[in-house]
Amino acid sequence: MPKRRDILAIVLIVLPWTLLITVWHQNAIAPLLAIRKDDGSDARRDAGQGSDSKEYCSSDKDIVEVVRTEYVYTRPPPWSDVLPTIHVITPTYSRPVQKAELTRLANTFLHVTNLHWILVEDSQRRTALVTRLLHETGLNYTHLNVETPRNYKLRGDMRDPRIPRGTMQRNLALRWLRETCNANHSLPAIVYFADDDNTYSLEVFEEMRSTRKVSVWPVAFVGGLRYESPKVNAAGKVYGWKTVFDPHRPFAIDMAGFAVNLRLILFKPQAYFKLRGVKGGYQESSLLRELVTLNDLEPKAANCTKILVWHTRTEKPVLVNEGKKGFTDPNIEI
Amino acid sequence: MTMKMKMKLKNVFMLYFLVSICGLMYALTQLGQPCDCTLHSRQSSDLVHSRDRTISRLQGELKRLQARGNPEGPPKPALPTIYTVTPTYTRLVQKAELTRLSQTLLHVPSLHWVVVEDSPVKTSLVSELLKRSGLPYTHLCTQTPKDFKLQEGDPNWLKPRGVEQRNLALQWLRENRGPSDEGVVYFADDDNTYSLRLFEEMRFTKRVSVWPVGLVGGVRFERPLVERGKVTGFYTAWKPNRPFPMDMAGFAVSLPLLLANPAARFHLSAQRGNLESSLLQTLVSIEELEPRASNCTKVLVWHTRTEKPKMKQEDALILQGLGSDPSIEV
Repeated sequence: MPKRRDILAIVLIVLPWTLLITVWHQNAIAPLLAIRKDDGSDARRDAGQGSDSKEYCSSDKDIVEVVRTEYVYTRPPPWSDVLPTIHVITPTYSRPVQKAELTRLANTFLHVTNLHWILVEDSQRRTALVTRLLHETGLNYTHLNVETPRNYKLRGDMRDPRIPRGTMQRNLALRWLRETCNANHSLPAIVYFADDDNTYSLEVFEEMRSTRKVSVWPVAFVGGLRYESPKVNAAGKVYGWKTVFDPHRPFAIDMAGFAVNLRLILFKPQAYFKLRGVKGGYQESSLLRELVTLNDLEPKAANCTKILVWHTRTEKPVLVNEGKKGFTDPNIEI
Repeated sequence: MTMKMKMKLKNVFMLYFLVSICGLMYALTQLGQPCDCTLHSRQSSDLVHSRDRTISRLQGELKRLQARGNPEGPPKPALPTIYTVTPTYTRLVQKAELTRLSQTLLHVPSLHWVVVEDSPVKTSLVSELLKRSGLPYTHLCTQTPKDFKLQEGDPNWLKPRGVEQRNLALQWLRENRGPSDEGVVYFADDDNTYSLRLFEEMRFTKRVSVWPVGLVGGVRFERPLVERGKVTGFYTAWKPNRPFPMDMAGFAVSLPLLLANPAARFHLSAQRGNLESSLLQTLVSIEELEPRASNCTKVLVWHTRTEKPKMKQEDALILQGLGSDPSIEV
């Protein structure tokens, strides 16, 4: 019959050792956990979930890409401390070719150093499709959304046709940049408006990196021509526009044909794309006339003689065989 | 036990108890203060960070060097090569299409781009583009026979396109690759959209691998039906009774299989939609197909088509003799 005293003795002997072992166990694991967590949060920052977006504007620490266990098919080039960042603003909206367009656009951007992709959806909420796509690309990105007001009286698109497509989205991106980036502490950066169906050569990004105020270059397949281009005189200054459609616009240039230095955007906080009352083809002018004069424009692409960006448009896919009830599984994302 | 021994034991016991409690107290206070741990973890994480910096810097350099690599071919790679066969023809959007396709392909390791122009001679536009692309490539050309060429205004489905060009690529592979060469052949048209994951899905094909294709056949996507890891049929709305009701972008053929069947080719005489079947019939049966993309439930390639750019103003200018500078390549 074990005596109470003996039991007490055994407990008192064993207790300190069990406590010691648990304490030691925790002590040894905690530092390892701290390292793992550090890596995890760094990687997420690199993937640019947008939560710590101040880095793009005022980063003086090395952003490191960490190899994860899941297979990363490709990654953007390592971030450089010397190259200006290019903030690429892309408005997008849901339609069957959206994922395809964004995929091939991402494949292009993955080659460009120091690129920050600001993707703005025309939607009430950020969609799962775009969220997943952005996360999987590995690019530095910021995901925003704003819905263009719908006109329910109209059929079809239902979007208010008086507001040119993408305007509110681009303006939101400009506002985000102004709120996030500090004019005094910003590293040099360029802002470029890239629609999701155009085609961009890698050279155009390198050409725009040296923009001091606003740089311009030719764009193919706009205005019913092989290309539209700024007219550049012998002194290397822009004096006009080589277009057929309304060449007397203040800036007869396509959205893809110019880039703006971020400092200019921050110094002129009232400059936005005009929402309403904008004639066709005048959208770009509505922003640029608040920022620069013709004289300040910097011609790129060998004095505007090379085509580095094409205004391609993707055909609307014929989905006639889907019928009224739908033929394919709606859960499979396209 | 004698009284004395009992006392001694009790003392020893009490001493042991006190010492262990003190030790525990000390350990618990140590746990409360983070100093040593963080230092240790920071040192390790610094080490990890600096190693990662080195890794990413080296990877960047490697990528840059690879991009500038010799188009005739680096030393034999460990991964099976993906021979991407792209037929192309001169039209306004050709340079744009090939540019963005090359940007996608540049991310894929061990890829060899076989570009075949529908032209009697190799054009300088394509030659220069290929040289600058940074990809290992082969540039071929052959002209579609006049009777089979689409005329202006013909709907694009009227005659099969790219047939002779793809066949020329197959011929080149047969003449320049041998039984010891591993690889897979993929027919990638220049206006489709390809995700990078797709290429990894097809790389290890034993015979013919298949997957869904988006935006084709008048539906959101067409796909093979898979049961228990085997292809049992095809889910398609348009002409589902074809032997292989798939799009060109929906399959890849292993190089050894092609070399083992020297007569396998695309047939100009194939009916509309049967071009793919005209090749695959001679190579494989439906049971032998290897399903990819999570048992054919993910869309990794889209049959996008690019609009023909409107040239109204250009045509008007040309009539006036004021057309745009033709030396500026578009």
